[in-house]
Amino acid sequence: MKYEHLFKPLQLNQLTIRNRIMSTAHAEVYAENNLTTERYVRYYEEKAKGGLGLAICGGSSPVSRDQPQQWWSAVDITDDRCIEHFGNLAEAVHRHGAHIMIQATHMGRRNAYWGGDWPHLVSPSGIREPVHRGTAKIIEPHEIQRILDDFGKAAIRVKQSGLDGMEISCAHQHLVDQFWSPRTNKRTDEWGGSLENRMRFGIEVFRSIREAVGRDFAVGMRMCGEEFHHDGLSHEDFKEIAQAMCETGLIDFISVVGSGADTHNTLANCMPPMALPPEPFIDLAAGIKSVSSVPVMHAQGIRDPMQAERALAEGMVDLVGMTRGMIADPHMVNKIREGKETQIRQCVGANYCIDRQYLGQDVLCVQNAATSRERFMPHQIQRTDGPLRKVVVVGAGPAGCEAARVSAERGHQVVLFERSDAVGGQINLAAQAPQRDQMAGIVRWFDMELKRVGVEVRLNTDADAQAIRAENPDIVVLATGGRPGIEEDPAWGGQSGLAVSSWDVLSGQVPVQDNVLVYDVMGQHAGTGTADYCSNKGARVEIVTPEPKVADDTGGTTFPIFYRRIYGQGILMTPNFWLQRAYQEDDKVIAVLMNEYTEELEEREVDQLIIENGIIPNDGLYWQLREESANGGITEMNELYDHQPQPILAGIPAGQFALFRVGDCISMHNIHGAIYDALRIAKDF
Amino acid sequence: MSSLIVALLAIAVAGFAAGVYRRLALWRQGRAVDLPLSLLLQVPKRYLVDLHHIVARDRYIANTHVAAAGGVVGSFVLLVLVYVFGFKNAFTYGVLWGLLVLGLLGAFFVFKRRQSPPDRLSRGHWAMVPYSLFAFGLGFLGLTIAEANASQGTLALVATVLAIVGVREIAGGALLSRPLKHLLSGSVHLAFHPRQARFDQVGALSTDLRPMDPEAEQYGVGKVSDFEWNRLLSFDACVECGKCQEACPAYAAGQPLNPKKLIQDLVAGMEGRSDQAYAGAGHPGMPIGTHQPGSDGALFPSLLEEQTLYACTTCRACVQACPMMIEHVDAIVDMRRFVALEQGGVPTNAQAVLQTLRNTDTVGGYDLAERANWSVDLQLPIAQPGQHVEVLFWSGESAYELRNQKTLRLVAQLLKKAGVNAAVIGEQELDTGDVARRLGDELLFQNLAERNINYLNTLSFDRILTIDPHVLQALGQEYRAFGADFEVLHHTQLLDQLVHSGDLDLSRALQRGTVTYHDPCYLGRYNGETEAPRRLLDALNLQVAEMERSGMNSRCCGWGGGAAFSDVPGEHRVPDLRMQEIHAVQAKTVAVACPNCMTMLEGVVQDQTEVVDIVELVAEAAGV
Repeated sequence: MKYEHLFKPLQLNQLTIRNRIMSTAHAEVYAENNLTTERYVRYYEEKAKGGLGLAICGGSSPVSRDQPQQWWSAVDITDDRCIEHFGNLAEAVHRHGAHIMIQATHMGRRNAYWGGDWPHLVSPSGIREPVHRGTAKIIEPHEIQRILDDFGKAAIRVKQSGLDGMEISCAHQHLVDQFWSPRTNKRTDEWGGSLENRMRFGIEVFRSIREAVGRDFAVGMRMCGEEFHHDGLSHEDFKEIAQAMCETGLIDFISVVGSGADTHNTLANCMPPMALPPEPFIDLAAGIKSVSSVPVMHAQGIRDPMQAERALAEGMVDLVGMTRGMIADPHMVNKIREGKETQIRQCVGANYCIDRQYLGQDVLCVQNAATSRERFMPHQIQRTDGPLRKVVVVGAGPAGCEAARVSAERGHQVVLFERSDAVGGQINLAAQAPQRDQMAGIVRWFDMELKRVGVEVRLNTDADAQAIRAENPDIVVLATGGRPGIEEDPAWGGQSGLAVSSWDVLSGQVPVQDNVLVYDVMGQHAGTGTADYCSNKGARVEIVTPEPKVADDTGGTTFPIFYRRIYGQGILMTPNFWLQRAYQEDDKVIAVLMNEYTEELEEREVDQLIIENGIIPNDGLYWQLREESANGGITEMNELYDHQPQPILAGIPAGQFALFRVGDCISMHNIHGAIYDALRIAKDF
Repeated sequence: MSSLIVALLAIAVAGFAAGVYRRLALWRQGRAVDLPLSLLLQVPKRYLVDLHHIVARDRYIANTHVAAAGGVVGSFVLLVLVYVFGFKNAFTYGVLWGLLVLGLLGAFFVFKRRQSPPDRLSRGHWAMVPYSLFAFGLGFLGLTIAEANASQGTLALVATVLAIVGVREIAGGALLSRPLKHLLSGSVHLAFHPRQARFDQVGALSTDLRPMDPEAEQYGVGKVSDFEWNRLLSFDACVECGKCQEACPAYAAGQPLNPKKLIQDLVAGMEGRSDQAYAGAGHPGMPIGTHQPGSDGALFPSLLEEQTLYACTTCRACVQACPMMIEHVDAIVDMRRFVALEQGGVPTNAQAVLQTLRNTDTVGGYDLAERANWSVDLQLPIAQPGQHVEVLFWSGESAYELRNQKTLRLVAQLLKKAGVNAAVIGEQELDTGDVARRLGDELLFQNLAERNINYLNTLSFDRILTIDPHVLQALGQEYRAFGADFEVLHHTQLLDQLVHSGDLDLSRALQRGTVTYHDPCYLGRYNGETEAPRRLLDALNLQVAEMERSGMNSRCCGWGGGAAFSDVPGEHRVPDLRMQEIHAVQAKTVAVACPNCMTMLEGVVQDQTEVVDIVELVAEAAGV
């Protein structure tokens, strides 16, 4: 049988998990007042509906009050008020045949004291945690006892609520593995020193939980497979720990995650971004499985069903975590089941989800605007019961592709004009940067879906007003994007040809010169990606930005990857400088830079000045068409933000068309923003 | 002149009598069967009613047959009345000449059809038949007119020659093994048909595969004399019309099987001669004239080759098409029993499947403990002895296959929605043995059947539900011979009931374009169910286009009879041919009602038509 292993049920203590695909715990940032919300429930319900076997929700849900929870909106399991809320969650997931557990933890020093009850964080030896700047005190015996009790009480709440089980995070250096790791545990008492002593706290945690919930309730452990720190735990150490924990008979499963996470660079491994190879740490999970007597779960860069099936077939793991995979497409499992693998919107590892989470923002998917908006945005577009219309979409970037896709799924006849020879818009440029090629996966999915749903895509067609009118459209969606904003300041020399844009270079239209200065106003992926692109072509590159640091606006798991490249390639980073002007001297370009804080000027003599300054909207067609459109080109804001249909859709006068704009042609947004613009308006066509 | 006619008649009678003697001797090579001679009294009814239903499908040849047969037989009787018993008057002459002219009319239509004969018709001796009929009619017309006018001379001489030619063909057919032996074998066959139930309980039993005695000295049919005598008779009744050839999917695919040739091979075997005289289309890819029975009438491989037997999908299209009601498929299975169990001649891939089935009780080599995996998340309990359920849901091999699990799962969800109390069997469910039985491994089939029946008898249920028509046939029909008495329903039948009782509401409109329905052989031809699926499609308000071959004349997908495993090489694949027919009606969706049809049709490389089980459409309309 195809996917024989993926669809083999698994017994986890009292639970029969229907298949081997799971969503591992992550912080959702959907809780409000530290309680699950309808949004939270619907987010997991959609995955259950979409076929997943097991979800573990509530990444890093603290069991104790000495853990501020606000910055990742954790669900609060320190109080009985959570019980009723979890009941709704469990019921919604069970209704579709899936199971759901919660991750509980004490994070020790992996937090910041400045919030909630402003606690003094505790850690085995009081050593500061770098990523969260977590200063902590040395934990005292009475605090150990209190926390052990807290674990037991939290477990009772989880069990009472109807959730199916509990995973204790002993990974990413939470309190349990802060005890385990010699990097953080320098104690000489019974809680430190030998491995046996360092393991004592963890074992006591599970003993406390078992005393509270008994044997017939699934309780497991998430652990690291290798910390990648010279003074941390090795893979062999973790195997020893895993074996010892299995031998206690207290745990029902182990979830393995590769890499420590208490530095920015190790953190970037934990949700492997597209720069890393597929399933980079599965060998660590397999190593743990080799000593484990309980089922082993593992996520991290397993994006494809074939990959997942192989990992299971080869006995490397027992459950495959495809967490980001189901953020991108919560119906992934059903699509696998039904042989519709090519319709899966596959995660590309852009890490928009986790990069938002590390900023304390709700988790969203770069390519699926319906995720976590299930109350208002459909994952499965239903055909309209209303009139079938002719929809013309101009521009096949992400906004235009989404508008066309959704319109066609609604049953309308759709024509999509695209000036270039391929769909994808700026994503095609983004995919040119080294180790960013998987961005093209977003386009590939759109391309296949547009064919599947029958959109008439007219490439190499520069649609003007006349061409649009000739289609006799009922609805016109402008998704015309923008053009590089390098002419914003004439002193940059963009108009005179002194400077070229990042687009010119990434598209290959302008060859890279030997000595290059990339001026990145935005601090996003494009600027650093361009610098990396040039460096990769052999140029000497300096990247200059007025931002506090290079790639500052790319996110906590993405900038470390850029920095690995920047330092590895010898790219010179010059943050905090503005480009004041540029001028020609012989065959060189002189760039005049001004320090943001001292206003001192510096000059650079380069062969090529490349500017990344976002885009200027292409709004020409809009101004040509708005007068004649039935709605004057106006998108009604309240209806849009309230997820209601645009009023004009109730009755477009015969012979006229409604005109909408989406994405960058209004003002610069990111890929998610462009797609969301399109989905929220086209879902009601 | 009268005495000449009487002499001719006497020769005819004597020749016919000798023919009867010869054919009886040929048939009686076969094993004895306990059938009463009084069955001969059934012939007129069976001829006029049962056979007529079949022959009347082709009105041209039905009318031709009435004219030719009626004319010839009637005129012979009149000739006897007039010339032997002396009833000579204007009336009898009038009737006699009328009948002779009627016979000539029939001969004319036979002649006309044979002017540009379809490929299915045999030539050779058969090509002579219209001329012989002309000769008979004209000869006796000439003789009787000459006699009536008391004239002699050339006319009489020519007429005599013609009459001799005609008599030789018609009365001498049985003796000389010429086409019109049909006169004798056809009518006697109607009386002693191997499957008597065919006339009494139409549709109740579609096949007559008999349980085999495990202690028997020999398994199956390996030589002519292993057939029961009335089976030999049934082969002898073949008129080489080729309707079976036209219906056969294996023949169409260029696999080495032509059911007409197969029957004629067996006739050749019965007559102890080679197939050289055969003048029709052969087994594709195989020469004619090089096959003959071995010593003692042995069939394999000198007369028939294994690949010919194993190309058959057991779809019964030939049986359905045959105007002589010959049952090719039962004969093939009987012969496969010998090849499988006495000779080990099952094609390699199919042999591997049988071995797997023997080892694991599943066709695909699966773990029985995983039989109910497909439903773990559907709140479908596993049936327990002592706990009554309305519907026992047979999972079948689909339990192990992702595409068909979808069908199972949707049926289960619809049952739940309709409030039907159902349970699965779990790891006690074994393969039904259908594939084993069809491939000839009757021992394996019987072993599985007995074990399944024993377990089912421990459970308490009203009826068994299956998505697989092969299971419907095995559990519902063929297990009866082993003492089972289960009510078995196909899912389209149960869904049809639920829709019409109002328990399922199909109010959601579907956007599907043109849909066509592919009848599974084991649902339609084997179990007579062609309407329940169509009623469901009607209830869905779909635009349905019927294929040319549909209902009882549907074309096989190529899976059945173990053919999917035997995989006998041909020029085309059977499912590809069926897909062409699906494309011919411009169907955007083809609905099937069998997991095996699903597998075969989905295996066709094409992107015009989506293959769905009917339940997918029902579920969509029911909002499941």
